[in-house]
Amino acid sequence: MVIDAAEQAGIYIPRFCYFAELGAVGACRVCAVMFEDGPFTGLQMSCMVEAEEGMVISTEDPEAVDFRKHVIEWMMMNHPHDCPVCDEGGHCLLQDLTVAGGHGIRRYPGRKRTYRDQYLGPLISHEENRCIQCYRCSRFYQEYCGYTDLGVTGIAQRIYFGRYTDGVLENPFSGNLIDLCPTGVYTDRPSRYTGRRWDFERSEGVCINCSLGCGIKVSARYREIARLEAGSRQEVNRAFICDRGRYGFFYANSASRPWKARVDGENVSLQKAVEEAVKRLESISAQYGGQAVAAAGSGRSSLETLASCVYMCTARSFRDFVFEDRTAAPGADSAVFRLAPENAVSMQSIESADFILAAGADPLNEAPILSLAMRRARQNGAAVSAIDPRPLAWPFEFTQVAAAPGEIRKLLQELNPETPSGNNDYRHAEALDSIKNRLEKSSRPVVVCGTEIICENTVSAAADLVDSLRGRKKDAGIFFTLPRANTRAGVLLDEGGGSVPDLVERMESGEIKALLMVESDLADIYPDRARLDAALKRLDLLAAVDSLPTETVNRADIVIPALTVFEAGGTYINQEGRAGWSQPAHKGGTPVRIEGGGGHPPRFIRPDIPEGDIPPAWETALRLAGLRPYAGRKSMNDWMTETFPVLEPLRTTGIDGTRIFPAASGGGKKKTAETGTENEGYLLVPAAAVFGDEPMSAFSQCLEECRMPLELWMAESDAGKLGGSDGDSVRLDLRDQPLHLTLRTSERMAPGVLVIYRHPGLQWRQFDPGRQFTVSRQQVFISGSGTNDTSRGRAE
Amino acid sequence: MYPQMLLKNRKPGRIATIGEYRSSGGYQALENSLGSNFQSPGDIRLILLEAELLGRGGAAFPMGKKMSTVPEDAPYPRYLVCNADEMEPGTFKDRVLIHADPHQLIEGIVLAARAICAEIAVIFIRREYENAARILEREIEVARKAGLVGKNILGSGCDCEVTVHRSAGRYICGEGTALVNALQGRRANPKRPPPYATEKGLWGLPTEVQNVETLCCVPHVVRNGAEWFRSLSLTENTPGTKVFSVSGRVKRPGCYELPMGVKLSEVIEEYAGGMAEGSRFKTCMPGGASTQFMPESMYHVPLDYSALAGEGYRLGTGAIMVFDHKTCLVRATANLMRFFARESCGWCTPCREGLPYILDLLDLIESGEGKAEYIEIIRQMCEHMKHSYCAFALGAAAPVQSMLEYFEEEVLWHLEKKGCPFTNMQSR
Repeated sequence: MVIDAAEQAGIYIPRFCYFAELGAVGACRVCAVMFEDGPFTGLQMSCMVEAEEGMVISTEDPEAVDFRKHVIEWMMMNHPHDCPVCDEGGHCLLQDLTVAGGHGIRRYPGRKRTYRDQYLGPLISHEENRCIQCYRCSRFYQEYCGYTDLGVTGIAQRIYFGRYTDGVLENPFSGNLIDLCPTGVYTDRPSRYTGRRWDFERSEGVCINCSLGCGIKVSARYREIARLEAGSRQEVNRAFICDRGRYGFFYANSASRPWKARVDGENVSLQKAVEEAVKRLESISAQYGGQAVAAAGSGRSSLETLASCVYMCTARSFRDFVFEDRTAAPGADSAVFRLAPENAVSMQSIESADFILAAGADPLNEAPILSLAMRRARQNGAAVSAIDPRPLAWPFEFTQVAAAPGEIRKLLQELNPETPSGNNDYRHAEALDSIKNRLEKSSRPVVVCGTEIICENTVSAAADLVDSLRGRKKDAGIFFTLPRANTRAGVLLDEGGGSVPDLVERMESGEIKALLMVESDLADIYPDRARLDAALKRLDLLAAVDSLPTETVNRADIVIPALTVFEAGGTYINQEGRAGWSQPAHKGGTPVRIEGGGGHPPRFIRPDIPEGDIPPAWETALRLAGLRPYAGRKSMNDWMTETFPVLEPLRTTGIDGTRIFPAASGGGKKKTAETGTENEGYLLVPAAAVFGDEPMSAFSQCLEECRMPLELWMAESDAGKLGGSDGDSVRLDLRDQPLHLTLRTSERMAPGVLVIYRHPGLQWRQFDPGRQFTVSRQQVFISGSGTNDTSRGRAE
Repeated sequence: MYPQMLLKNRKPGRIATIGEYRSSGGYQALENSLGSNFQSPGDIRLILLEAELLGRGGAAFPMGKKMSTVPEDAPYPRYLVCNADEMEPGTFKDRVLIHADPHQLIEGIVLAARAICAEIAVIFIRREYENAARILEREIEVARKAGLVGKNILGSGCDCEVTVHRSAGRYICGEGTALVNALQGRRANPKRPPPYATEKGLWGLPTEVQNVETLCCVPHVVRNGAEWFRSLSLTENTPGTKVFSVSGRVKRPGCYELPMGVKLSEVIEEYAGGMAEGSRFKTCMPGGASTQFMPESMYHVPLDYSALAGEGYRLGTGAIMVFDHKTCLVRATANLMRFFARESCGWCTPCREGLPYILDLLDLIESGEGKAEYIEIIRQMCEHMKHSYCAFALGAAAPVQSMLEYFEEEVLWHLEKKGCPFTNMQSR
């Protein structure tokens, strides 16, 4: 379009409705320019005309300038001119263009039209009077995302952008309305009144609330993160992020964060805590041998931290590093090792796929922005099919084969002509045939494969299917989702790799005497609370390095605070092997709000930054390893790439966008047992939810209202057999205490499977290790709707 | 009295039955075309092209040309939409046509559908025309029983389902592209081509939208040929007849079918019975509210599309609104502008915000609070309306622009008098 061509040439043409990702619609008419020569002449909208050779265009033609001036005047007729109290003021497109267009004095003598604003939930403030009717919001909400609860109503000057009634927006990408709105109709609610754009320290980062690693823009002030906005990362996200990523940062501002170093319950200096940790670790390893010391970490750590921890274990001859994501996602190993430069596809290239098969993956909940990329593919004509037990509710048309987790592998093998099945009595024969057909017809199929609810073999089966498609000259690709931002890095670095259950067993047996948890929480990953408590009690030393107030931190003998990604920065390798550096947004230290007890301005002045000496977790890990931390990113990078050959590409091509693949792609190392499906009772699957128990966003108070309610999902046929229906109350008798939930039924679900979307308030880990648990029919009680506990007696 | 084509079966108080329509030559075109004198879709299109049948909805685009933009290899099903969303102020010809002779329209629809191989036809009818909608629903069933509509028409193997769809009730729904959106359950916003509806219209399939009056002409053209159709007109430029809706300060307002090229003065004096008692002709709008006021000097202009276009006017829908010397044109214009400001679809800024702005200034002038600079503001804004998204705002600006051009002294008189000089004049 001419508007883009001009921008590339350094000429900014005003625009309100035009937004590259949403396309051109020609509604606002403010991008009018004069076509002086070329295929045609006259005043035209630069967003509606494809740029061509030979066009001569003037932005300064008097008629064009006069017309644009009029457009601004028309827009300002009803605008409330409330810039001083508007949160958009200072970074408002309307403000910029009004000033730029010279519309300083209102000459319209009439009254202003006013609207009633709506409550749109905890994330977005609505102030419809400011609206200039650019339609960006309704186009994004309905066309781009596929949700219908916000849109445009009315006609002419009474046009209204909002919902039918007040209510929390259903779209988990709704925060993008704030970025999209060219004025202050939709403003960021949690960050209201915290500052103007120029007050903030702004930096670009990588979102770490899922494995995709979308680009974000961070605004910090007074040692706090004020708000996040969508950034754009090449080949990853275009211009949008999900609300979990946008509002998942509040842990960094939390007063309950570990701000002070602690030894045996006493606050001490950081140096003292590190020295004490080194001393105790050394003494334990001298007394019992290095194998008596274990360290664990997770995929929410940066690459720097993970590398330092793995190095520490080797350098100190501790036990092999335990990477907790392996327990969270049984398919993680295979997903890392089966991904190769040939078969990997980026999120942006998914948009041009012509068929997408999702196996055991629920992008909307596990990697939200991916579901928008899939929707784009669907809009471009791709068919989408899913093989999954959950009641998938993606915002686009797709077909689902409702298969239990253990069945998915068999079905994938059935689709693969190179793995003859010998078994033709599948329940899903018809649906599979249709998928087979689509695979056959497609030329750019993509298999999206999850790693959380399925077993390792399923991931291999998905990779095998893609290999076989590639063997048949199709440009097939595979796209894995992983549980955390740096799961891939952890698996790549930690080749030996212990498991969490094994760790607990060895703590129980007394083999392990000291445990160091770096940005990881056993209580968050190990299901049996009583057993874990007993095991931890047997330890001589529990040390924690973390920025989150986890249970481990609360009970640790030594606590060494760590910086968050917003303060330390860090490198993250996303699920397709793409590395990205997240810049620090500020230098750290206790937020002014906490330090000043909420008063503003702070009541006392001090020369230093309170708790300004907290180091990044990797510095602590290197100190514990006996190394002096590296000063500066470059020397840290050099050290990492030297120590871990797999990271070599980071040295040669820099971090951003560099792809990291294992030296030799092969099968995953460990095979996990497949979960049976044909057993008595139900398989209980605690599934990820977009606003679920992801450890960082779980701290965000503002997301409470957006979380999914506690519900037990069941196939309609199963519920029917128990005499239950949608909306009934249900009680699950598990281990120690019963769970009271609302029964939800779905036609999409696999029979024999129960799904509970994980909620931060739900102690779901009591269910079972391995994350999936068989529940006997006798443990499910359904009572009538509304009544909570008066069960009608046992079903069946 | 000129020969009647479209309104020849018009009777006071009731519709023409299928029998009456048949005995006047009705359904012969369809029978011939599908039977004895078989015509391929291409043949029908050729006749319409040769007849130079212009769209009667206002834009006057040749029907045959529009039909030929449906690609030969376009997918099926294809749609024919009859636009009966008659909302142009002053226009009531479509209602009269439906009430007079519904089978004429039904035959026209089936023939036009056949010309583009459309198997589904929809009559998109104005919400307020409930009676007309019911008549059509009833008569479509009558035609179906007679084998003229539906599956296997007259045993030819051709299908054409005709359904009646009541409009969402806004002026903009009558705009072709907005109509296509409205029919699909979307907001009735116009959509700039490409793609044209004839390529990708309803649900992405070829869709031809035609006005009621245009479709009513089709059976006559097909039956009697292009040459005959051309002979109906008084001019070379525009063949056929036109149903004029005459309203305003005349003795006999109403619908008159007259040849293209008939003089304006003849319509008013011969057919509408001349000006009302005590009224003198001041101006008239020739084609509904979105056309210009014509000055008295145009009183004898021949009414056909190209003759008027040559003088810088639009025949539009042929709705002649006559204003007398006692009518305040500022007030009349403001009244029209109130309609347009209300009916803007709200899509683009000039139309959505500019029209109420102009209306506000007109109201101020009318109420005596006007300022001299308002005239220039209004002029400028009207000029800018041509850069809005669709033709709606341009049409809305036409009465204002022509009022300022030919009757500026009336505006100045308001400013001078600080009020409306026409107050109470009509009752005097």
